[in-house]
Amino acid sequence: MMNPDNMKEARMKRPVRWSVLAGALVVLTVLLLAETVVVKIQSTNLRKEPKFYSQTIATLTAGNSLEKLSSQDGWFQVRTSAGVVGWIHSSAVETKKFNLLAVDKSMKTQASAGEVALAAKGFNKQVEESYKAKHGEANFAAVDRMLQLKISPSDVEAFLRKGKLGEFGDDK
Amino acid sequence: MRTQRAGVILTAAALAGFVLSGCSVVQQGAKVLSDTGKLSEKDKDSIIKTSEAVRSTFSEITEQEEYYIGRAVAALVLSKYKIYDNGGLTNYVNVLGKAISYSSDRPETYGGYHFLVLDSDEVNALAAPGGFVFVTKGLIKRCKDEEMLASILAHEIGHVSAKHGLASIKKSRLVDTFKILGKEAATRYGSKELGELTGIFENVLGDIVESLVEKGYDRKYEYEADKLAVKFASGTGYDPNGLTRFLKTMVGGASGASGKGWFKTHPSAEDRLEKVNSQIKGMTNVPKIIPVRTERFMQSVRGLKP
Repeated sequence: MMNPDNMKEARMKRPVRWSVLAGALVVLTVLLLAETVVVKIQSTNLRKEPKFYSQTIATLTAGNSLEKLSSQDGWFQVRTSAGVVGWIHSSAVETKKFNLLAVDKSMKTQASAGEVALAAKGFNKQVEESYKAKHGEANFAAVDRMLQLKISPSDVEAFLRKGKLGEFGDDK
Repeated sequence: MRTQRAGVILTAAALAGFVLSGCSVVQQGAKVLSDTGKLSEKDKDSIIKTSEAVRSTFSEITEQEEYYIGRAVAALVLSKYKIYDNGGLTNYVNVLGKAISYSSDRPETYGGYHFLVLDSDEVNALAAPGGFVFVTKGLIKRCKDEEMLASILAHEIGHVSAKHGLASIKKSRLVDTFKILGKEAATRYGSKELGELTGIFENVLGDIVESLVEKGYDRKYEYEADKLAVKFASGTGYDPNGLTRFLKTMVGGASGASGKGWFKTHPSAEDRLEKVNSQIKGMTNVPKIIPVRTERFMQSVRGLKP
């Protein structure tokens, strides 16, 4: 004879199976559809809205992985590993190429992922140092000074507003 | 019930692991398989070769590599030209350039866009890969308003955005580079590899500087940059006729210091004008010039005018 607990479990058995199956399907779909993008520039900001002078809600650096949620006019809405959701311009990220079906068939897919493994290599700081040692005429000091001048997005916003440019134009 | 759920979660996790790691790190993978005898030496080489082949076009140069190439090209430009030291003007050109970059196809680059005024009466503008943009005092003097300068900066941003500098690198350089890189994974190069890479780096810079400063880009790249200039400038809200008005000052290649810079390295102003005019004609909404922009331009270039 079944005790009441077992009876309860038996009654639930069918719906439970369905929910598990549906859950598995959702997980699988999400896995196949979820797109990961990786920050490919030195540093950038995660923004509240899809525009450069929108409020910064997180700072991102090269190599940060983000989950892409949606896209709009060249911007991606993403979620960081810390769970923060915001916008990043598509030119700042690389879309990882995962194709489950192509893993065995196509070498090309594998190779383009191999390229990701090499991403940090090639011409780097070390090569620059070695070049600099041989080429005293190259004016790297001036380049470093050039890089020091930073223009904030809010300066650009004020410039656009005053000049009736971008979203501040008369026809917008 | 709990076990069932745990099972599903475990399966999903395993699947996620498979998806996420399935196609990464080809070369190490090929090496490991080869070491364990699961992959023949020949297969390993062909896998590595395929991965090199994929990288042997300029579009596969990483953002970081482009940055280091751009830095060095900029360092060479700055060995030929002196900087025009005028904080107010430099700042104005940077804000203007940055504003246009926001409406470009590529607003974000590894190290960002940076603009500098060169102390030269030559009429010239140059862009090194990654976003190092230079404009001469002589060129700014020739501009009558913000729309004209905006169109020049938009043309240079066009070169960066479409990676014309990288496209002028001879393919053999890239093949050489990736031959070295394909061998093994090292975080720092040994002296032999470093020597080889530095040699290739020198050649790469030579290819770009030759196009940028001496010979000029291929004509098709100049026409493309003009096209992008109209797109990016009008996308920002500028009257794209800033470009046509600037090109008109170059017709005949006549006036003043015309032997160098934009006159020498670019296709004829007449040909460019024709193409740009027809592009603007095809636009449905052409922004108009407004006085407030011209006023701030005049304010910023005040020190330049004699």
